[in-house]
Amino acid sequence: MIERIAWLWPEIILFLATCVVMVLGVSPRLALRRQCAFVSGLALFLAAMVAIATGPMATSPWPQMVPFMKGTAGFVGLLTLLVLAGTVDREVDRDQELGRGFAALRANRAEFYAFFLFSMTGLMLCASADDLIWLFLALELTSLPTYVMVTISTRRSRSQEAGVKYFFLGALGAAIFLYGFSLLYMGTGSTDLGAISTQILAQAEGGAINDIAMAGLVLSLIGVSFKIAAVPMHFYTADVYQGAAASVSAMLAFVPKAAGFIAILLLVSTVGWQWGVADTAGVSLGAGHSLPEPVRLLLWVMAVFTMTVGNVLALLQRSIKRILAYSSIAHSGYMLVGVIAGPQGARFIDNGVAATLFYLLSYGLMNVGAFAVVASMEHKGEEADDLDALRGLCRTRPWLGWTMVICALSLLGFPFTLGFFAKVPLFTSGIAAGEYALVVILGINSAIAAFYYLRLAALPMLEEPVGEAPALTRVPARIVAGVLSAGAALGMVLVAGFFMERAARAAVPGLFDGTHASQSATDQIARSGERRADE
Amino acid sequence: MHNLAGPLSQVASSADVGVPAQGPAWASLIVFLPLLACALCGVCAIVPAMRRTKLPAWITVALLGVSFVLTVLLYQDVSAGEHAKTVLVTSWEWFHLSWGDAPGQQFVASFGFYIDSLTVLWMLFVTGLATLIALYASEYMSHDVGLGYCRFFAAFSLFVFSMACLVMGDNLLLLYLGWEGVGLCSYLLIGYFYNEAGAVAAAKKAFIMNRIGDLGLALGIMLTFWHFGTIQYAELFPLVAPYVEALKAGDIGQIPLVVQAIPLLLMVGAFGKSAQLPLYVWLPDAMWGPTPVSALIHAATMVTAGVYLIARTYPLFAVSELALPIVAWVGTLTALLSATIAMAQFDIKRIMAYSTVSQLGYMFAGLGFLTSTGAAFHVFTHAFFKASLFLCCGAVMHGFAGQLDLRRLSGVSFMKGWGIVGIAMLIGCLNLAGFPLTAGFFSKDMILAEAFVTPGPGYALAGWILLVTAGLTAYYTFRVFFRVFVGPQHAEPGDEVHAHDGHDAHFHPHAPGWAINSVLAILAVASILAAGTYFIEKEQHGWVGKMVHGSTAAEIVVGEGEHAVRAAAFRHDLVGEHAIHGESHEPAGDHATPEEAGGSSIAHGSFLGMDPHAVMYYVSSLFGIAGILTAAYLHGPRGLFGLFIGSRTEAATSRADALVPALGPLVQWARHKWYVDELYDFLIVKPLWVLSHIFHLIDQLLIDGLVDLMGRLPSIGGRSIRPSQSGVLHGYAVGMASGLAFLLLLVWLLTL
Repeated sequence: MIERIAWLWPEIILFLATCVVMVLGVSPRLALRRQCAFVSGLALFLAAMVAIATGPMATSPWPQMVPFMKGTAGFVGLLTLLVLAGTVDREVDRDQELGRGFAALRANRAEFYAFFLFSMTGLMLCASADDLIWLFLALELTSLPTYVMVTISTRRSRSQEAGVKYFFLGALGAAIFLYGFSLLYMGTGSTDLGAISTQILAQAEGGAINDIAMAGLVLSLIGVSFKIAAVPMHFYTADVYQGAAASVSAMLAFVPKAAGFIAILLLVSTVGWQWGVADTAGVSLGAGHSLPEPVRLLLWVMAVFTMTVGNVLALLQRSIKRILAYSSIAHSGYMLVGVIAGPQGARFIDNGVAATLFYLLSYGLMNVGAFAVVASMEHKGEEADDLDALRGLCRTRPWLGWTMVICALSLLGFPFTLGFFAKVPLFTSGIAAGEYALVVILGINSAIAAFYYLRLAALPMLEEPVGEAPALTRVPARIVAGVLSAGAALGMVLVAGFFMERAARAAVPGLFDGTHASQSATDQIARSGERRADE
Repeated sequence: MHNLAGPLSQVASSADVGVPAQGPAWASLIVFLPLLACALCGVCAIVPAMRRTKLPAWITVALLGVSFVLTVLLYQDVSAGEHAKTVLVTSWEWFHLSWGDAPGQQFVASFGFYIDSLTVLWMLFVTGLATLIALYASEYMSHDVGLGYCRFFAAFSLFVFSMACLVMGDNLLLLYLGWEGVGLCSYLLIGYFYNEAGAVAAAKKAFIMNRIGDLGLALGIMLTFWHFGTIQYAELFPLVAPYVEALKAGDIGQIPLVVQAIPLLLMVGAFGKSAQLPLYVWLPDAMWGPTPVSALIHAATMVTAGVYLIARTYPLFAVSELALPIVAWVGTLTALLSATIAMAQFDIKRIMAYSTVSQLGYMFAGLGFLTSTGAAFHVFTHAFFKASLFLCCGAVMHGFAGQLDLRRLSGVSFMKGWGIVGIAMLIGCLNLAGFPLTAGFFSKDMILAEAFVTPGPGYALAGWILLVTAGLTAYYTFRVFFRVFVGPQHAEPGDEVHAHDGHDAHFHPHAPGWAINSVLAILAVASILAAGTYFIEKEQHGWVGKMVHGSTAAEIVVGEGEHAVRAAAFRHDLVGEHAIHGESHEPAGDHATPEEAGGSSIAHGSFLGMDPHAVMYYVSSLFGIAGILTAAYLHGPRGLFGLFIGSRTEAATSRADALVPALGPLVQWARHKWYVDELYDFLIVKPLWVLSHIFHLIDQLLIDGLVDLMGRLPSIGGRSIRPSQSGVLHGYAVGMASGLAFLLLLVWLLTL
């Protein structure tokens, strides 16, 4: 157990920083309390650097993914922190402006940063998980602080309503995947992912995967899909994103989603992608390169519904935050395509898992910008959330306007933006895996998404400004975050190859993982198939 | 000293040469300096202080001038080295696609340049004339100083860049890039006065006509790649060599049909760009562009791209039975048709345009008659004299407020300050008319003689047609000269009276300034000197011949006509033949005796029983002088400048008017360009218009209806599931639970 510490230094750093932030937060001196954001940022940066420097984690089903995802989490988290910083402080300031008593007593800025760091710690712990119980705890550590953050992000009842919804539905989701985990334990006799994988492989070679284990896996996947806001666990998304402050929504769009995808990849890796496509029962090893049919069908249906529902609902919205919420549902659907395609192929463009990981990184970077723009604009003391606020923004607030244009185009997957280079591998890996129908649906959905993303891009760029320019919140870091995000959406293109290579390396399954252990068996079957074909 | 062993070894080794040696890297500057000029003109357009000056012109002139000097240096490099030296200069790898290791599974097109004497010949006059004409334009375009000036010179420089890519590219794709580039610049410059409907229509016409040709060229290039697996000249021509050998052996059956189809497609591209039948109609309309553009692009350089293409890929054309005869006949008929149209026009610039089409016809005919030397020589001489003719017309247009009607101008040479224009015009006219001992005379003769020498389908008839056309050419050329440049002084202003003239009544023509005059003088002298090149390297038919012989245009030896003849017949003006037939050959001028080679008799054509090479000088002189005299009689003024046979005393009328009723509808038809535009309109444009309206209706009703429906589907879908997002917590919980149940049921039913 103790050797695991070697891979947990990023989490330890974050945890220590959380403690420091909490202590700083009770200091009577405002100057000290104000350091919370800096400490958090420093800790995230350190954690990310340490994570990158650590080697692969041997006991994880995806040894290389551990440093990759922690690094991604750290840097996107840092960008998110720039947006988040000052969310509560702004509320405190406003209280003072309105003469609502002595705000310092009610000030919860330190808790806000601490919750954020806890959530980031949970995300990184997810990446380190190699055990179902660890995974469950990590997922909950990621989610629980976000429930509070949503609630305290603004003083309005809408935030509290959103927090309550998020909490109850999140508990429901957690109950579902915890039930799944227990069934998985029941079916395989272990909570260790490696042991589960070996057990499932043994069952498959003995004839069939235990039905209870399969049911547990299916339930776990559905439950975990709450974290990525996939259909049918998506209902909370729009209400929560809209109810929370835009800065918190920016975090919700990345942190739980990343944790959810890590969990899905970990769970799915216990069965691996070595099953025959034609093998409908999915209970024996085939020579193909596909998930077992129940899992594939489940993810397939979820992917199709998730992207379609997300996109068509986004079409109807007038609130920018709701548009971005529904579109974040759709993006989860896109990324599921990569999960279905699996980690086959030596080349990056054939590797679906690598495509998903790279998309997660890209989505995290470019999505922050869009939320940062909303978070930066105020209209009569409220967040300027309506589409009309974007009109002519390039002229009135050029930095914000162009950030929105670039981020919206990149989220759309407009050629020569980061989003394009992130989306193409999803298509190619889907084709390489033979999932043609899914790829066509992905294409259609990208076209539907163009409708509302182009509106987000065209309103600031082409329309005339209406009325006076929206006021800016007094948190300049948000504009910096937005500009950095837009810069990443354009500039990352130049170095995309570097990150794609990292993602491809991260998508190599571990040594004792089911995919790999059965490689020889798969090869044998493939060879015997060839021999038959020769005869 | 030139020796014959050079080409001999060249031909012998052409089959197994590897990649040619690398040339000097600075040669790529010739291409990129004009591009730099284009970019700098763009900068001028942005910076207001620079925009208000003539800076774009001086940038363009300077950089093009450097480009020309570099070309001259390159020429010295090439001519000092071994004869027929081919070198490659690769700037960077442009395309390198590979889907296997076998030959034909790589697609390579580098941004590199293939430099041999043909390239250098073309680049010499392209960059040289471009520099001069840019200098001319600096004055000519001075009324437009500002954004328009920047735009003009940017497009001008971009044109030179594209033309350089076209000529110097070491593969067909780079040639295609240049080909499209010059087409684009031509479009931009014809439509320079974009406020005028006519200019816009002419630009579109030129672009669309060229697209038709470009399609052929693109298909030809694709087919080349498909069959040969490469489009790099250095790799392509060794691959063609076996077919050339098969042709020499009389074994035409061995040559696959695909190979024979390639030149037919390339030819379509050449016909489009070089304004040959049936794609010539855009060139006369292209005169809407500013005159320097007409001189450079639509007379001297771009329109010769077709000639260059055929000369460059001559081995491909030679191995097709049909290609060269078609080229010869299309050229001949174009020459005749456009000459007849030119005779009846009144707009002097338009006459020059038709004459360009006609002279291009001569060049194509020359290629078809297997004298790539003659064609290239005519391109070379034509570039100078036609450019000077256009620039003279431009000077007139500039000075008389856009007046181009030869009935409203007279005696321009005698007006104050117009002397140089008059003399340059006279020299240009003499060249165009093929007056003895002018450059145009020698180059045209070379083509005419070959028509009678080369055995081919009806080539002798084509030769007679071209001879008559030479007479017509002399007539319409001097019709312009006698009407506009000599005779009683008379000038009516055109419709472009300048604003600074105050009001229309006080029109006074302004004579050209130093820039226009000096350029005209240089061009006039150059077009005289061009004749001198005929006597350099006489044994190879002049300096141009030497340049052509050292290139791919001469690396084949073929005959024409029937297969047997094709095998044995050989071309005397292609040096390579000496190697093939293993016998020395007398230089030009001594071809009277029929020659024997390889034991078979050679069908060396004759002209009325005489050797065409010997008599053509005199025959064509006769036709030319007859044309000039006819023009003098019909249009010449009274006195010496009408050669004492003219009688014209005023600008508007001449003896020719009396002839019009006698000729009946012929004149009317020629004046209306034989109604070819109307024919195309009726045959192609109108049916397409009707069809497009039908399709438009279908598109609106059916396709748009479907698309709109598809477009509405997502929102309809969104509306139908919107109620699920009610905001009610337990509603969401029920939704999640039922979704869970649905998924479990689905997985259970479908897979377990």
